[in-house]
Amino acid sequence: MTGLERVLAAVRFEPTDRIPVIPQIFGHAARVAGVPLQQYLTDPAVLAECQLAALQRYGADAVFALLDVNVETEALGSSLRFPKDHYPSVERFAIQEPSAVAGLAIPDPNRAGRMPVLLQATRLLRQALKDQVLVAGCVLGPMTLACQLLGAERALFAAIDEPDAFARLLDFAADVAASFGWAQLDAGAHVCVVFDPSASPAVVPPAFFRELVAPRLRRLCDALKQKGSPATWLHIAGPVEPILPLYPGCGVDIANIDYCVDAKKARAAVPRLCLDGNIRSLAFVDAEPQEITTACAQLLADAGTGFILSSGCEIPLEARPECVQALVDSVKRR
Amino acid sequence: MDAEPSPFVAHLLDGDSEAALAEAARLCASRADGQRLVVEGLEAALDRLSAKCTTEQFNLLEIMLTGRAAMAVARAVFPEGGVPCTRGTLVIATPQGDVHDLGKNISKMVLSTKGFRVVDCGKDCPVAEMVAAAEREHAFAVLASGLISPVIPLVRQLRGLLRERGLAQVAIVAGGAALKQCTAEALNVDYVARDAFDCAQFLEGLPR
Repeated sequence: MTGLERVLAAVRFEPTDRIPVIPQIFGHAARVAGVPLQQYLTDPAVLAECQLAALQRYGADAVFALLDVNVETEALGSSLRFPKDHYPSVERFAIQEPSAVAGLAIPDPNRAGRMPVLLQATRLLRQALKDQVLVAGCVLGPMTLACQLLGAERALFAAIDEPDAFARLLDFAADVAASFGWAQLDAGAHVCVVFDPSASPAVVPPAFFRELVAPRLRRLCDALKQKGSPATWLHIAGPVEPILPLYPGCGVDIANIDYCVDAKKARAAVPRLCLDGNIRSLAFVDAEPQEITTACAQLLADAGTGFILSSGCEIPLEARPECVQALVDSVKRR
Repeated sequence: MDAEPSPFVAHLLDGDSEAALAEAARLCASRADGQRLVVEGLEAALDRLSAKCTTEQFNLLEIMLTGRAAMAVARAVFPEGGVPCTRGTLVIATPQGDVHDLGKNISKMVLSTKGFRVVDCGKDCPVAEMVAAAEREHAFAVLASGLISPVIPLVRQLRGLLRERGLAQVAIVAGGAALKQCTAEALNVDYVARDAFDCAQFLEGLPR
């Protein structure tokens, strides 16, 4: 089986020749290639080269055309600061009031900010890999983009103090995600990871997710599938157990679970939803490869079928390559 | 804790600043002093939230709303500068390289309401600046909040920098998504807090 076939079979709970494995390697690919992170985040050819090198090195089932969490907000007018060899952060948010979203237009993914960088990196990866492994793009989910446009604290208070304006902001954020997601699928991404950490139950109550976030995620997942995406992948960090049962209703096909989620409980909560996770991200920095191997063996026993072995969240930039290799080798040795 | 909360506590838990301020004014008019409002109102509300802070029920939004209402009441009752300091001075910051300060701000709100004087060194803060603030302000603890892993080596430096200044007795507490994946030993700190309430509980238990 190819990596792509393996992943899609896991999504459908069909037999696979081995468990698919996808360490969430983003900027770590630049570190192992010895390339400055800023170059990786701004030059599509460099990003593609580093992802291909990481694929060659580790032998996982996917590559990621993913920059950082600031691509959309930058395209909409936020100004960023690029510290040396770290991910950028927002220096000034695009809007200061939720109602100001009325003055924003959906950005053109072929022109705005670094959106074209991500699209070109996607094209290069897909041209190089065809359907050999999964080529994954990434869009921010509506809650996280709302926080990235307004600032997290301001956005969270706005959700309570100005609910109508906040709802319009969420609608806009979902529309941006759909538009950017469509462009990524056009550029060759097989799927787009919907990254929405600000919708985590660690940040907002499950009822908030159910009432405000879930309907927008449903719309977004429907839009991605309408464009031909064979699966939708939702990535929310933190203790997602209370909201996991809502994922199938949102149209989600793959659910990322973080290290703090009990894989057995997650499997029981959503028996027919493909899960990916959940080795502790920092373990790739501070643990020994043998500890990763042991944790993977336990996890594979707990998670059952319809599972993709992965890290709970991003593989840290400074991860030890031998620990990442231990994750990938865990499924190849079985 | 299971008994019905007082209307004052209920308004605070609802994050309803206006109703909480009105109730505080009513209680003041009936001769409740500021300290009683703190203990039976603000602290009682935070204690109820703390009890809810299990993995399943913890969320930042609820704490932010209660914290905002509590701070509004504190400013109204103690216009000279919020809840009086009864528990000592702390320094808090998000170390250099990390600009995610939501967790730090929430911790500051909770700890201020509980009677700690919190010196906020902000986000993206060099650890040397945190240590200098601890010396200048005679802090008994330094709190580092970090969402991302690059701050880990910086947090490990705190102990040595404090010792160099003769501040070996100053406690170090770490918290935040990245730091709480580590042990206290690995970070060379005294405690790794699960959340703001866990941090408060640890600080309250320190001998001083």
